[in-house]
Amino acid sequence: MNANEEVLSLQKDQQQSVTRFAERRGEYYSKQFQAIQSVNGITYSFNVFAALLGPMWAATRNLWSFFWLSAIALLFSFVQLGIGLSGNLGSDKLAQADRLMAKSQEMAVKAQVALEAGASSATALLRNSTNLKTAAENAIKEANLEASGATSYVIFGFFLLLLTVLVQGFSANALYEKKYCRWRKDYSENSGFSYPNMLLGGVMLAIIFPIVIYRFIAAAPVEWIMTFPANKAIFNGAASWLDGGFDSLATSGAGFFDGISYGVRIFIEALEVILVDTPWPVTAIVILFMAWRLAGVRVAIFTAAALSYLAFLGYWEKSMSTVALLGASATLCILFGIPLGIMCAKNRTMDSFARPVLDFMQTMPAFVYLIPIIAFFGTGKPPGVLATLIFGMPPVVRLTSLGIQQVPASIVEGALAFGCSRRKLLLDVEIPLAMSSILAGVNQTILMCLSMVVIASLIGAEGLGTDVLMALQFAAKGQGLLAGLAILACAMIIDRIVQGSFKPVGKPGH
Amino acid sequence: MAKNVIRLDNVWKIFGENADQAMEAINNEGLDKAAVLERFGCVVGIADVSFTVPRGEIFCIMGLSGSGKSTLIRHLNRLIEPTAGKVEVLEQSMPDLSDKDLRSMRAKHIGMVFQHMALLPHRTVIDNVAFPLEVQNVPKLKRWEISQHALSLVNLGGFEYRLPHQLSGGMQQRVGLARALASDPEVLLMDEPFSALDPLIRRELQNQFVTLTKTLQKTTVFITHDLDEAIRIGDRIAIMKDGRLIQIGTPEDIVMNPIDEYVTEFVQGISNLKLISAASIMLDINEETLPASMDISVATRAASDTSLDNLIDLSIASELPIIITDSDGKDIGVVNKGTLLKGIKGDE
Repeated sequence: MNANEEVLSLQKDQQQSVTRFAERRGEYYSKQFQAIQSVNGITYSFNVFAALLGPMWAATRNLWSFFWLSAIALLFSFVQLGIGLSGNLGSDKLAQADRLMAKSQEMAVKAQVALEAGASSATALLRNSTNLKTAAENAIKEANLEASGATSYVIFGFFLLLLTVLVQGFSANALYEKKYCRWRKDYSENSGFSYPNMLLGGVMLAIIFPIVIYRFIAAAPVEWIMTFPANKAIFNGAASWLDGGFDSLATSGAGFFDGISYGVRIFIEALEVILVDTPWPVTAIVILFMAWRLAGVRVAIFTAAALSYLAFLGYWEKSMSTVALLGASATLCILFGIPLGIMCAKNRTMDSFARPVLDFMQTMPAFVYLIPIIAFFGTGKPPGVLATLIFGMPPVVRLTSLGIQQVPASIVEGALAFGCSRRKLLLDVEIPLAMSSILAGVNQTILMCLSMVVIASLIGAEGLGTDVLMALQFAAKGQGLLAGLAILACAMIIDRIVQGSFKPVGKPGH
Repeated sequence: MAKNVIRLDNVWKIFGENADQAMEAINNEGLDKAAVLERFGCVVGIADVSFTVPRGEIFCIMGLSGSGKSTLIRHLNRLIEPTAGKVEVLEQSMPDLSDKDLRSMRAKHIGMVFQHMALLPHRTVIDNVAFPLEVQNVPKLKRWEISQHALSLVNLGGFEYRLPHQLSGGMQQRVGLARALASDPEVLLMDEPFSALDPLIRRELQNQFVTLTKTLQKTTVFITHDLDEAIRIGDRIAIMKDGRLIQIGTPEDIVMNPIDEYVTEFVQGISNLKLISAASIMLDINEETLPASMDISVATRAASDTSLDNLIDLSIASELPIIITDSDGKDIGVVNKGTLLKGIKGDE
């Protein structure tokens, strides 16, 4: 086969495939596509059907983004035309002018009567009448001005329509060719000529166009088109039903919730005894020593600076109780989060169940889940920790699961081939290899817990967050900023020490 | 030779959800691979494979990618379960082992080396080698001692405390070999161990490997996609295609009597055959190589620049040795079947 024949057969293949793609008018599209594909830049290719029928062509050809864009453009130009042509412009002003004119005439009559009777009010009435007349004339002027604006609406609308038609015509084949290329690499891409889609597009246009045009042209559209006729009773019923649900759950589960609350409280108090009740020099020395041994000299120097900031500004006690709160939350997050993450990585059902729950925990605004937490656990530090737990747990779960799943299958196979048990595989192969991902999760969790400290102080979890909250209430800028920086200092101390102490050894090979 | 260490009887492996139904249909209706894929959406990985490996033998399985050889070798330590058939290693039926017995079998008796090494990146070389011993709860000091020895066997003394990523590919693969040898298993499974290495290192490791396994008397199943390597290493070779073993035999068998066109094509592809000429392998003419009782006049004659490839054809046609002549037509040497095979194997 020589080169010429090859080109010919390629063209024939192309023609067949385009015909298969387009179903109707295959020959036309094959020619157009060939023109588009033979040039690198923009080609002149005008599709009359697309230009005139715009959205309908797009719907039939399965080009839904084209459908919506051209429907919006057409709608916009139709609305402009409609407003210009309907003659409603300035009609309210004209009505006003009529009213004013009538009033003015009424006044003039009254003034005439008063003048004839020789009453003193005659001049005042006459003045009123002239004033009203001027106002009416002004209104008429405005109305005329608006009415003359109608022409510009019509002109603008017309040009927009023309532009839309031209753009549709010129862009259609180029876009359709792009779709053809997508279809070539993935045959699941919708292709061809579809009557159901044409019907669907037609129905949508038939609903959308009249309603929108009516809304803009009518002087006073029907009320239900403007606002949804919502039923207040449904809302009230649902809210009070939820109220009742919360209340009965809180009473029936009181023992359970109190138990959790109690457990968390003991944990926080133990941490507070260590951090707050121990004399400050001892705590400071221990923290500095930990920073030095676990994370090195640089972290230790940074820690010393951060600690002295806390101490000199009088935040020592508050920051220690904040750290206790944070420590309790972060520890619980990690304690539950890592095993949960491992389970998600190993078990598909567990994963598909946990994923939406984690999304929910992370997306729900913190203030919203403070409500049920107060309902079940009251106020104070334990509920503060629990609220923090909800917000802070997702990253460690997600990143642990990701880390375990990313352990190369070949290494797992290698370990299994030497008789490794599941437990040993997890502890000695998978967790060490996933460690950097797990640590990233721990880091994220600690930082998210810290950002919750201020919000948790809303429900009585005292600490540095309370200072920020107070500053917010009294607009005490300086105080707020200092307390905020103190929170930052706490966060960075903890994060640097944790990061430094778990330096992963060895990188995955190859 | 001694009794068989490995024995496979009619092993099938079918991948997919309806594997059992597909197996039944194959047994009852004799469906072929394409039909199974169409009807059940199942892929036939291994089709009716049987072979035995006696103690101390190196058994090479040669096939192209996708032929099922990696799947097959994973049946021997049950990283993959067979759909049907018997897999016996050291007279134990692998599919019937309990989890615990399976783990101890893998740890003690079957060593494996992978194409991509599969070393633990966070462990030092010596702790990687010690891994199978650690699984068996051998105390630390003891397992370090054994690992040290294994490392010295593969000439890696002095690299004990490096991490795998600090070593070159060839060294990493020797660590893999040392790990497979550490618990002194009877059986070695080699899954394309040298394929990812460059040709020089590969040649070196092949030689080292053959010497090592022969001295240690390991029974080895060796997977490769390279017939040269199979001929160089294997005592026997099995050619695999589409999940079936189409020919099993000694390297000589395979080269001399390829069973079908597929194997023939492979044998032709051996680089030695085209590259080496008669002159480089021929023996001198003397009493030993060419007894006087033989009638030289009827023997086949070939020029000194004839390739091994053509010599094979000539040698098939005649029982007598081939006489090699120089450009003047003078007899200068002789090639018999033994020399021919040596030439093919490339030992010289």
